Amino acid sequence: MTTVLQITTPPLPASYSGPSTSKATISRPTTRQLLPAGTAHLQHLRLLHHHASDFAAHDEHYASLEQQREEERKRAAQLSAEDDLGVGDEEEHPDLLSLDPKEWKKHDYYAVLGLSKYRYKATPEQIKVANRKKVLKHHPDKKATPTDKDATSLIYGTVNTNDDAFFKCIAKAHETLSNPEKRRQYDSVDHDFVEQWEDVPSATEIKARMSKSSKPNDYFFRTLGPVFELYSRFSRAQPVPQLGLEDASKEDVEAFYDFWYNLDSWRSFEWLDKEVNEGSDSRDDKRYTEKKNKSERARRKKEDTAKVRGLVDLALSLDPRIKRIKQEEKAAREAKKAASRAGTPGVNGKANAKPSKEEEERKKKEEEEKKVAEEAAKAEAKKAKAAAATAAKKARRAARAAEEGGAA
Amino acid sequence: MSVPNGVPAASADAPSLPPVVGINFGNSYASIAVFTKEGIAECIANEDGERQIACAISFHGEEMYIGNQAKHQLVKNHENTITGFRNLLGKKFSEVPQTKSPISAVVIQHPTLPDEPAYKVKVLQASPSPLPPSTATNTPAASVAPTPRSEPIPSERILIVSEVTTIFIKSLVQSAEDFLGTKVQGAVITVPAWFTQSQKDALSKVATEAGVNVIQLLEENAAAAATTTTELWSSDLRPDRTQLLVDLGSSSLHISLLSISTGLAHVLASSSTTDVGADQLDDALIRFFGADFTKKTKVALTVAPATDTTDRRAEAKLRLAIEHTKRTISASPGAATCSVESLKDGFDYTGTVNRMRFDMLARPVYSAVSNAVSTLLQNAEIDAHDVDEIVYIGGTPCLPGLNDHLLLAAGFREDVDTPFSLGTVVGGGVGDPTTILARGAASQAALVATMPEDEDKAELKTAYQGVSNLNDVAVVTRTLGVLFPGQVENDVDGLGGVWVPIVLKETPLPARRTVRFDVGLSDASKKFAFEVWEVSEGIRVEKVKPPKVVYSDDEGEPEEEEEEEEIDVKHKTVKKEVFLGLVEAEAKLGVQAKGKGPDAGKWTSTVDVRLIVSAEGSLDVEVKEVGAEGPVASLRVAAS
Repeated sequence: MTTVLQITTPPLPASYSGPSTSKATISRPTTRQLLPAGTAHLQHLRLLHHHASDFAAHDEHYASLEQQREEERKRAAQLSAEDDLGVGDEEEHPDLLSLDPKEWKKHDYYAVLGLSKYRYKATPEQIKVANRKKVLKHHPDKKATPTDKDATSLIYGTVNTNDDAFFKCIAKAHETLSNPEKRRQYDSVDHDFVEQWEDVPSATEIKARMSKSSKPNDYFFRTLGPVFELYSRFSRAQPVPQLGLEDASKEDVEAFYDFWYNLDSWRSFEWLDKEVNEGSDSRDDKRYTEKKNKSERARRKKEDTAKVRGLVDLALSLDPRIKRIKQEEKAAREAKKAASRAGTPGVNGKANAKPSKEEEERKKKEEEEKKVAEEAAKAEAKKAKAAAATAAKKARRAARAAEEGGAA
Repeated sequence: MSVPNGVPAASADAPSLPPVVGINFGNSYASIAVFTKEGIAECIANEDGERQIACAISFHGEEMYIGNQAKHQLVKNHENTITGFRNLLGKKFSEVPQTKSPISAVVIQHPTLPDEPAYKVKVLQASPSPLPPSTATNTPAASVAPTPRSEPIPSERILIVSEVTTIFIKSLVQSAEDFLGTKVQGAVITVPAWFTQSQKDALSKVATEAGVNVIQLLEENAAAAATTTTELWSSDLRPDRTQLLVDLGSSSLHISLLSISTGLAHVLASSSTTDVGADQLDDALIRFFGADFTKKTKVALTVAPATDTTDRRAEAKLRLAIEHTKRTISASPGAATCSVESLKDGFDYTGTVNRMRFDMLARPVYSAVSNAVSTLLQNAEIDAHDVDEIVYIGGTPCLPGLNDHLLLAAGFREDVDTPFSLGTVVGGGVGDPTTILARGAASQAALVATMPEDEDKAELKTAYQGVSNLNDVAVVTRTLGVLFPGQVENDVDGLGGVWVPIVLKETPLPARRTVRFDVGLSDASKKFAFEVWEVSEGIRVEKVKPPKVVYSDDEGEPEEEEEEEEIDVKHKTVKKEVFLGLVEAEAKLGVQAKGKGPDAGKWTSTVDVRLIVSAEGSLDVEVKEVGAEGPVASLRVAAS
């Protein structure tokens, strides 16, 4: 413990010479009786009898004790972390504590409940645990304990600011997150997601950057990979195939595009609805707002779908793997052809000189044949159809005649 | 549900603290405190909602009243009401002074035990209980109505002092248990400093009989110190200070002068008297209201002392009523009322007293306190100017009049710290005089109960039993410090430099103190030096004329030559006694002040000067520059 004095001593005078050094000692101490109370007294006893009046040893002992306590605290925190399903204790930013409960639509509920690290992944159990923790900590009844040191020294135990604003925020957050439908709506427009989603570069930007980039492929995967990952949370079908890497197989790539073109997203925009003007009982008013909200929701959903679709389109158009797959396919086809020709009897080394020409000719011929056949088939089908129609007509006429005959 | 309502379930998150309580057991009032989960000792109320529980037990018929309810019995049933029993604990009958006009049950010689003080009370003994109701197996009852209970038998009961105390302590502990919801495992009970060993033994025996495990019998001074040395008390007070404890109870006054150095407290001087107490104040107040009553109703009333039976009853009623009056006057600056229904001859009384009148009535008590304080300081050869802090204990010091009077009459410094100047009295603050002792006892109980289990726990615990000499400690007799030679303005003490006191006198050894400040460096060599001295301190009284007040309205007129009274202004003085050594060092981390001020261009460096005085009296001085590794200079002075 150091006492800090606000003084500055004068500099040593140049002519200073100290008093003659003496072999003096301090005067003999007298004896007193200590009052046996207080922590300082206990420490004094320990210093005398445990550490033989050695301040260094005493300090060390207390430092080690403090360390032990710290470790124990950590261990306890870990233990409780297992109990609380990994909710843990998040630091509460002063801004968070001063939220206005009236602005509840704008709050970050996961931050309020201390679940920022889980967000949409938080399980209902975790939400329950987190809510209980926060309620215990911030219940208005608990606010009696002083948090401010200055307040403590003045009047302890009576510092009750009666500030239950944050508690209301907790209640609202829990109400929303514990209801699956409301949570879905909230998650759809979660701040965290919206921010990241808005940061996604536009198609033109990506194209421009990619063309400029020295490693366009690398840039492609680095930029678009996280984008799809980010949006995967909204897919009803899970798990969601991801963009993957450059060396992904053809099946994977096809599965990816197939999935994302048929994405079934649960994202919806009810959360952003305008409140029906409160106090207004007018049914028309209500209906008008509801109608507007509905159209607004639909518009947002459309926009969102379009954006995702645009991204998939963009990915498909820029995907280096698609080019690679096409090339591979072509190569495979050619290889196959080559193989099949090599396997045809009657083809010998002489014929090898112009295989492509022969091939083409054959192909042409085949195609023509095919065409002719198709046309023939078409014509035949037409004919058959017409025949069928006339047959049906005939049959109908005969039936009618029979009927008439019967009636007569 | 098998669990009756109101029984607290075993709490899942039980605090790690063992359930211990602190009991302030006074002669007139007791209070209980517990250590809460928040780490604060808190005075709790009993089931009647009283934090100050009257030490009184009353027997009325088959009922027994304890605490403030028993006090009300003083009106009609004073001969069966027992008060003031704590001071008789452990005493023989022959040692107990007999009072002339007792206001409660008389102390008598026990009929069988030799030389034992006892009380005789009339009670109604419950008669034997009626027959158990009949069941199907035995003979059916003749009628459906239960057998009427026979009349209780009037009888006499002889209670010795320790029995009474046992009943009372049991009720206190019961209140604490009701509050905590668990069984109390230990208690620290306060005792006055003047309690003899036999009285302490008697109290421990009584507590054991009441089923309380006594952790420590704590002296009242120590209990006060336990509260005032906590961080909660005040963060602005100096860790080394001289503290005056003024404990004004209803029947006695204790004053103690404590030296507190970083939480270690020891008594420098103390005095105790039973001549001064709040009872005198009560008497004055009762006489005032009695006279007022006579004036208003023309009914003769002689109170304090009263002779007539009706007068005595009126006095008892007034005594109860003025409790409220005193509390009101402590809490608010306005007037306080006193209302008694049917004070005498069926006349009701309502009167008020304002603070000025009250202070006038209380003046004899106030002056008695300030006289006692002055005498104590004189005997201890300590000037009032040296007292850094005043702490009040008891109900009466809640009256701000006492503080105001004491500060003026005993001549304390203007900046002396009191709970009133710190603003901690009101609203149940830390300085609340009525709960300091109980809270100190509770925090001590928690401290001892949570002592870590190690090899010397048993040994350290003996310090709390008062049987070992562990509490003996050596203290320095003179202040040690360092002197920086140089030119200083206003060097009245003729020291020739700046004096920095580091280890104050009465500091228990071993002691370690570190002081941080800026040293001026000589420009050329960045050198600094200081002398280590042992000094004696004194008080210099200077007569100063008060500054003349010039009124603007008497312009032009020649000023009258008024003989103005001089006032004494006290200054602390320092006289060099023993030169212990010279420390010279060269600063490595000097900085030059910039700017245009008077100090511009001067070199300074911040240093830590540490003094360690061992228990034997050897001194180690070490100088360190803040931010640099290792000491730059040191000095060792061997023990004598």
